[in-house]
Amino acid sequence: MIGCRKRITAHKRKPERADIVIIGAGASGATAAKVLTEQGLRVVSLERGPWCKRETFGGDELANVNRYNLWPDPILNPRTYRESASKDPKIELFCPVPQMVGGGTVHWQGWLPRFTENDFRLRTNAGQPSGTTLVDWPISYRDLEPYYTKVEWAFGVSGAGGVNKYESSRSRDYPCPPLPTTRYGRKFYEGCRKLGYNSFPTPMAALSRPYNGRPVTVQSAFAQQHGDPTGTRSSALSVFVPDALKTGGFDLRPDCYVHEITVDQRGRCKSAVYQDADGDFIEQEGDIFLLACGAIESARLLLLSRSSQFPRGLANGSDLVGRNATFHEYSAAVGVFDDPIYAWAGGGYVAASSFEFYEHDEKRGFVSGCHIAAAGVGIPLPINWSLPDRPMWGAQVKQIDRDYFNHTFAIGMVLHDMPQHDNRVELDDKVTDAWGLPVARITNKIHENDLKMGRWVIDRNAEILEAAGAKKIYRVYPDRISGNCSHQHGTTRMGDDPKSSVLNKWCQAHEVDNLFVIDGGPFPTGTGANPTLTIMANAWRVADYIGARYNSERKPSYQRTQF
Amino acid sequence: METFFDAHQRATIEAAMARIIPTDDQPGAKEAGTIEFLDRYLSGIDFIYAKPDGSGFEKLETRRAEAWRRRIEILRAKYVEGIKEIDQRSSSRFGAAFISLTAEQQDRLLTEMERATAPGPAVLEGQAGFTPAEPALQQTSTEIDLDFFPLLTLHTRQGFYSDPIYGGNQDRTGWKLIGFEGPESLAETHAGRFTTLPFFAKEQVDWMQEKNHGPQT
Repeated sequence: MIGCRKRITAHKRKPERADIVIIGAGASGATAAKVLTEQGLRVVSLERGPWCKRETFGGDELANVNRYNLWPDPILNPRTYRESASKDPKIELFCPVPQMVGGGTVHWQGWLPRFTENDFRLRTNAGQPSGTTLVDWPISYRDLEPYYTKVEWAFGVSGAGGVNKYESSRSRDYPCPPLPTTRYGRKFYEGCRKLGYNSFPTPMAALSRPYNGRPVTVQSAFAQQHGDPTGTRSSALSVFVPDALKTGGFDLRPDCYVHEITVDQRGRCKSAVYQDADGDFIEQEGDIFLLACGAIESARLLLLSRSSQFPRGLANGSDLVGRNATFHEYSAAVGVFDDPIYAWAGGGYVAASSFEFYEHDEKRGFVSGCHIAAAGVGIPLPINWSLPDRPMWGAQVKQIDRDYFNHTFAIGMVLHDMPQHDNRVELDDKVTDAWGLPVARITNKIHENDLKMGRWVIDRNAEILEAAGAKKIYRVYPDRISGNCSHQHGTTRMGDDPKSSVLNKWCQAHEVDNLFVIDGGPFPTGTGANPTLTIMANAWRVADYIGARYNSERKPSYQRTQF
Repeated sequence: METFFDAHQRATIEAAMARIIPTDDQPGAKEAGTIEFLDRYLSGIDFIYAKPDGSGFEKLETRRAEAWRRRIEILRAKYVEGIKEIDQRSSSRFGAAFISLTAEQQDRLLTEMERATAPGPAVLEGQAGFTPAEPALQQTSTEIDLDFFPLLTLHTRQGFYSDPIYGGNQDRTGWKLIGFEGPESLAETHAGRFTTLPFFAKEQVDWMQEKNHGPQT
């Protein structure tokens, strides 16, 4: 074996070689596991975190929002952040996503808008702002449309097709009608209507009617950042993992932390070397390897996997692994109203949306735009609810909590941050995690285009609040990318040219033909919309391609998929 | 053992908490028992996570237990030092123990402590759970990076508003104050019986009718 620096534990039996090894069992990994096992392949999934059953989740704000019950504990799994290479990195909980079976779909409330046709050709439409690495995607909306539909129908997404007038054409409506309207949603519709803006119920990973044997989603207050004890929200954990297990071909191994992907003499992936719950090192061989750890952790694993063929990290001859990282930024205008809003109803994110500012419009003075939506203020639960000018302590705090807790909501934005060459994920040279591996170091400087978009959109959101009757409005302009969306993209961008991309349009590494990355890493741009629906649709597309090719090689009679 | 503070420490922190969320015509931190919440939190790692069905607390193991032991050690040290600072300020400025000061004197002292606090990076960057420079959007604080005073205000808030199983928010004092119609118990949420549907909009949008021209309201 070349490159492996871990001593494989001798007393444990080496596991059987798999057809497919997927690293990470979150949104993209579970999607691929479902698709590939349903095509008859033997899939081993190595997930570094636990496999939490729904009974272990609960409605506990303190545990889930304040005590890292689902999020990585920064003492065990820190990251570091710096604005630029000249600054000292600081330990931060940058862009946390639950590291467990189900990944980010465990803690989300699941806003699932589709990207639009123009998202895939923004560079052509809008040009490339100076200092950015904005590019078109190597695939189009048309390539993804069938897979959007598959995911929506597998999940039972609740929404209303055709109400968002900026939505690109869809082959099928949503399987479930929209969720009930919240008071914050209703205020948003009123404000938009007064200003002549189109608005629509946010498509969500929740059931408004019984679907595929699953009951209607319980509308608890404990949803955003909480796991779902009822199993009625739609997630990779509640839908795709059970689907894959049903096939009998899915070997899901939790608490197995992959430290390295090894390569053979020809430079193809040979095995994943992981540490199991006992601390032993196990080598898992396979034909094809899929990285599905999230864009930060997948890049980190590639960079950790150094060998004589790949001294800068696996598939990183181009030095592009980790670069062009984008994270979105959530920011909001906040409105105070006379009548009660109860923004904790449904957990605060049974939302209403608009794509009125989504498409690029050069008259605004910046490139692109983004999704806006009405929601609670931050986590709108008693401990973590806040207003921007609330002091730290004293009688005034109590008065503000008492008067405004039930009377506020936010119109948030999903800032489309521009990709930049030097905004990147690397290995930290000082800080290690509890397993002794270097942590991800994020270098990220907000671009002028991001600042302009943030100011412009927050001002529009404030106008909607005003039109909806807010008596007081706060504008929170984003001034840096803090990772507060838990969205990650771009670190292994896909493209047609190996000099400017890590993966081809099938998310297959240009340099290693049995290696694929299927999380948000392949996204050349983050776009202005929540990414997970597209991550799952793209993972399904790639898995379909891999499965068809794999089966055609095994069974020559199979129709061979064309590039 | 379910406590950490000695009698003096406990009385001092309880008095400070009573100024952080004061009692007016409605109960405050004192009546909600936020000191119970905090003393229990600092007692070790037996009260970190309630079991989601409310039947007790999780037993932490392996690395998770190690991390929490470390965190609690760090927090305890901050409290021990912070209480010493309150004592010193109180005796040099007023010549008396903090608990025997008037409410106004206590407020003055706490204001001085707040001003002396170098805000931790988490506070500056708007990620602290309690006093963000902007709304706490999706982030929470890295607790151990906070200085004593912001930490005390954070824990007071947590004790006032967390599920009563953690020892504070007694008689749902905090929730009643702000009108949060939370579940009767963790078990209600766990079993799927807690619903917020009564707090959704009364009149629903008819999306079948609105399909092609956006919602009328």
